[in-house]
Amino acid sequence: MKDEAKIILDICNKILLKNVDHHLRLNLEPISTQFKTLKDEIISSELTKLLVKEDLGGAGMTLTDIIPIVQLSAQYGTPIPFIETIISNFLLSELNVKPENDFITLTNKTENIQIKKDKISGNFKSIPYLNLVEKILVETEIKNQKYIILFKKGGKLKLQKNFLSEPKFDLDASELEIISMMEKPEQIDVQNLLINVRSIQSFGAMEKILKLCIEYCSQRKQFGRTLSKFQMIQNHISEIALEVAASGASLSTLKNNNKNFYNLKSTAIPKIRTGIASGKVIALSHQVHGAMGFTKEYELSYFTKALNSWRNEFGNEIYWQNILGKLFLNQNKNLWEFLNH
Amino acid sequence: MTYFNFPHIEEDDNLKNLRNDVKSFLKTTFNSNNIKPQADAWMYSANPEFSKKLGEKGWLGMSFPKKYGGREKTMLERYVITEELLVAGAPVAAHWIADRQSGSQIIRYGTEEQKKEIIPKISSGECFFAIGMSEPDSGSDLASVKTFAKKTDDCWELTGRKIWSTGAHLSHYMIVLARTEKLDEKNRHSGLSQFLVNLKLPGVEINPIEDMTHQKHFNETVFNNIKLNKDALLGEEGMGWQQVVGELALERSGPERFLSHYILLDNFICEFRYKMSEMGITSLGKIISELQTLRMMSFSIAWMIQEKKSPDVQAAFVKEAGNVFEKKLIETIREMSNLIPFEKWSSSLKSLFQDATLRIPANSLRGGTSEIMRGIISKQLGLR
Repeated sequence: MKDEAKIILDICNKILLKNVDHHLRLNLEPISTQFKTLKDEIISSELTKLLVKEDLGGAGMTLTDIIPIVQLSAQYGTPIPFIETIISNFLLSELNVKPENDFITLTNKTENIQIKKDKISGNFKSIPYLNLVEKILVETEIKNQKYIILFKKGGKLKLQKNFLSEPKFDLDASELEIISMMEKPEQIDVQNLLINVRSIQSFGAMEKILKLCIEYCSQRKQFGRTLSKFQMIQNHISEIALEVAASGASLSTLKNNNKNFYNLKSTAIPKIRTGIASGKVIALSHQVHGAMGFTKEYELSYFTKALNSWRNEFGNEIYWQNILGKLFLNQNKNLWEFLNH
Repeated sequence: MTYFNFPHIEEDDNLKNLRNDVKSFLKTTFNSNNIKPQADAWMYSANPEFSKKLGEKGWLGMSFPKKYGGREKTMLERYVITEELLVAGAPVAAHWIADRQSGSQIIRYGTEEQKKEIIPKISSGECFFAIGMSEPDSGSDLASVKTFAKKTDDCWELTGRKIWSTGAHLSHYMIVLARTEKLDEKNRHSGLSQFLVNLKLPGVEINPIEDMTHQKHFNETVFNNIKLNKDALLGEEGMGWQQVVGELALERSGPERFLSHYILLDNFICEFRYKMSEMGITSLGKIISELQTLRMMSFSIAWMIQEKKSPDVQAAFVKEAGNVFEKKLIETIREMSNLIPFEKWSSSLKSLFQDATLRIPANSLRGGTSEIMRGIISKQLGLR
């Protein structure tokens, strides 16, 4: 990791360590002091502009550079649109639009979009943290052309029934004010980018779950000894560790090249592997925590709910296995060539 | 908070070119010598002539110093060659253990004489090794070995029995883990030493053990009070446990832990490529994702070894995840066959499938059982 990236990671760690806890997650309101303090510190430290070009006032980092920050944010269970804003500002920057000095959120799930005189109407789905922002970035298709549009929030927010980790909303918008609207550059694949961000976040959340399992089982005693001394418990936790390690390794190609964030094969492999791992880690971590893990007050459930939410977004791992299988079969290569290409 | 890091290592053009060179060599050599690819070839398919050809190409003893006949290449180059040999089902069993772990142990712990005597022969594909760890009463519990080496004024007297010694009947040497002091129950890992034992010495008895596939690839090796020269000690007296742990990392982390049956998968895809159901295609996507992840982990470990790190726990991950993968692979191939009865598969595919099915129980036993791998991981996590 470059020195600059290490410093930024350290700053981020300090802010999250100081401000993020389970109380924040359970009492997330735009008016809460804890939320406002966290938001102010993140915005004022310019962490939401890490991927913004330097000439637009950003840090000029690359997608590969910010993998540890996305991972860290997920380890902390940061319940705010921090990563959403980083990615939104990145997309704006790629379009040479100045970044926002506030949290923004984004989605690419849209229907019935109409544009009239700098106003946007339509249905927007599964928008994370819409209650905490004033502006929304969307990728949408109009007459076979994809656009990236930033517009002001308005209309009626409908809270989705989700997995109860991050709040997600549907929005039926009518003539909301467009701030920026640009054709999406061909080389950027927003969906694959968002999927890869989720895979990194899933890895971070699973690391946290592993930590919680180790801590809990090293402290709680049953039958006169700590849970960690039971071989069955060790077996469960070692399996969790194995899944976490494999998830981290599956992200490897993303660390190699920024373009891999848009590449179908490089996206499918970690999406599938972290999805498989998430299923196992959720089940095993709840098993080792017993009833305590099933309570709202104990933080395990926040992370397992997040994993459940993320692994089901953009198609689950079964859906992506099919895509990857077809991607291989449709190429005139043997499997080894496909893997090495 | 990151517990186990697998740094991303990029395969550069040099490595890609090396892959192509190995592929071309294998194609030519298989054709001209009528070699048939085999699954699990690193255990079951020994061909000393083929090993010698690899030595002539400079593809054995890759990372050893030139002054001992090595090639001074990187562990990543060795990794690439290893993968290509496994994927081709090449007959590598004769030299596999010598090249994978025994040579490295000698380079690391051996005397100058031991290195000069043995390393050039390993590098030329003319010296083969067997592993001398397990015993009839010491399987997973390696610290309980009873084979004893007694120090006399002029030699070591070795007595004991080693078991599951793959390829001992073809091998020239075995690195034997033996007690050199009586077992101290409070410090079970002390008092162990490693010895470089010439298997042609008088008093060495090698008895084949037929496995459940009716093959005789592993053995019981008996040492009847054999006399070893003083310089047969490998490394430091009493440091055998520490040495053997490093050797096991070499044994556990390689791509043979998940590519042993690749040739079955490849043949299956060739035969069923245009007959797969949606369910089969979906299963195939899962295999691709898991296999590629395992490759990234194993390649990363090769780099860690190259950088003189100690990826013992990471190796346990690859061993365990690789075993799980290969067991699932056999089951998944059954599911992917799209209801085409086994009887209608080609005879070559049926043969590979039957071999794999019969041999697969050994995967999670050899090189340390799954239970041992999970124990290593638990210990590292502070649970033990």
